[in-house]
Amino acid sequence: MLMALFNIVIFPGLLFLGIYALFFAFLDRKLYARLQNRVGPPWFQPLADFCKLLGKETIIPQGADRRVFVSLPVFALAAVTTAFIYVPIWSVNSLFPFEGDLIVVLYLLTIPTLCFFLGGWYSTSLYATIGAVRALTQLFSYEVPLFMAMLAPAILAETWSISGISAYYAEHPLYILINIPAFLVAMVACQGKLERVPFDLPEAETEIVSGTFVEYSGRLFAIFKMAIDCELVVVSALIAAIFLPFHAANPWLGFLYFIIKTVIILILLCLFRASMARVRIEQMLMFCWKILTPLAIIQIIINLLVRGALA
Amino acid sequence: MSKNFFEKAVDWGRRKSPWIIHFNAGACNGCDIEVVDALTPRFDVERLGLLQQGTPRHADVLVCTGAVTLQTRDRLKQIYEQMPEPKFVLAVGSCACTGGIFDGCYCVSGGIDSVIPVDAYIPGCAARPEAIIDAVVKLLTALEQSQKAAD
Repeated sequence: MLMALFNIVIFPGLLFLGIYALFFAFLDRKLYARLQNRVGPPWFQPLADFCKLLGKETIIPQGADRRVFVSLPVFALAAVTTAFIYVPIWSVNSLFPFEGDLIVVLYLLTIPTLCFFLGGWYSTSLYATIGAVRALTQLFSYEVPLFMAMLAPAILAETWSISGISAYYAEHPLYILINIPAFLVAMVACQGKLERVPFDLPEAETEIVSGTFVEYSGRLFAIFKMAIDCELVVVSALIAAIFLPFHAANPWLGFLYFIIKTVIILILLCLFRASMARVRIEQMLMFCWKILTPLAIIQIIINLLVRGALA
Repeated sequence: MSKNFFEKAVDWGRRKSPWIIHFNAGACNGCDIEVVDALTPRFDVERLGLLQQGTPRHADVLVCTGAVTLQTRDRLKQIYEQMPEPKFVLAVGSCACTGGIFDGCYCVSGGIDSVIPVDAYIPGCAARPEAIIDAVVKLLTALEQSQKAAD
């Protein structure tokens, strides 16, 4: 009981995830600034933003359903934190591995997007509604290639658990070379999931103000921002677990490997963000369905053939 | 009464993360270009924690340019009221400070402070980006002093 509480609240639950997410947010912003030839924010910037937002007035629009409006940010954060418990951190195994946790994590990571949609919808603001509809449209385009790219390595490993996949590729490290197309597809598609620059259409500050979050202020916005930062950590940890299975037997060394792997993924995501401009919604749909999805299907076929050849 | 740890953390956050929203109340666009200039990588205001926000709900500082025309009067008031407390207002440029050369015109109600309370005035036609950044820093310093005085 005490151990479970420790796992939920401190490690690897809320506290560790929150601190790591703030660190990630800083690293992301600093790298982005350096790539634009700027100095960038100081190390405590995300923490200062979070503290400030917690102390601000929280306004709830008159037309909004109060209960739903207030509970959605908490739902988003809770779903992301729950997903993190099933991602391996210090070794091949996660805290509670079971057969099929890959599917559970992927679906838990869909909940924040649905919360953004509902949050925008319940704000009853025009900009928020446009942002909400875009979030949902986007969900249907990136989710399919992302899921297929994550499931292709699982087919080769013949298991639906993240820990099983990690263990399989740790045993056969050369097989990860087969999954390189899936890795690229996952990296691109997860930019859509995280609503980062080429696919940040639901937020799109310059055209629809800030999309789904237009009416959120103060504490509620702080929680939403925290959920987004945490999602960045969870997604990069998931990609690291599936596509970069380098593990150490020692848990401390394994934890260091985890940090190195996730930071490498963050750097790649940041490079991608800094070198792109925002696309239009129909361009994004075309790109996801016409390029990413076929690539992911080809990857699955290759993995099936390799599986057959190995058997 | 001395402030507790959480209130101090919030005070610190307020000083370190001023998010701005820019509103043109009827300027000739000269000051607006200087405000946008201040946000470019050359001046890099993100090192002070400054970020431009799209919506007044997320902003702490309202950066206003231009004399207030009768057309924008109500809009300015609305945007100010949409911002969550605590909020600050910067008047950028001579017109925003006093009405400038448009003061007394039939369609102008005067400077920004004729409609909403202003915390810092930045004179200049147009105000330079350095002056705008300096005003933000001075505003934050004044905020720190008032926080210390309240403690």
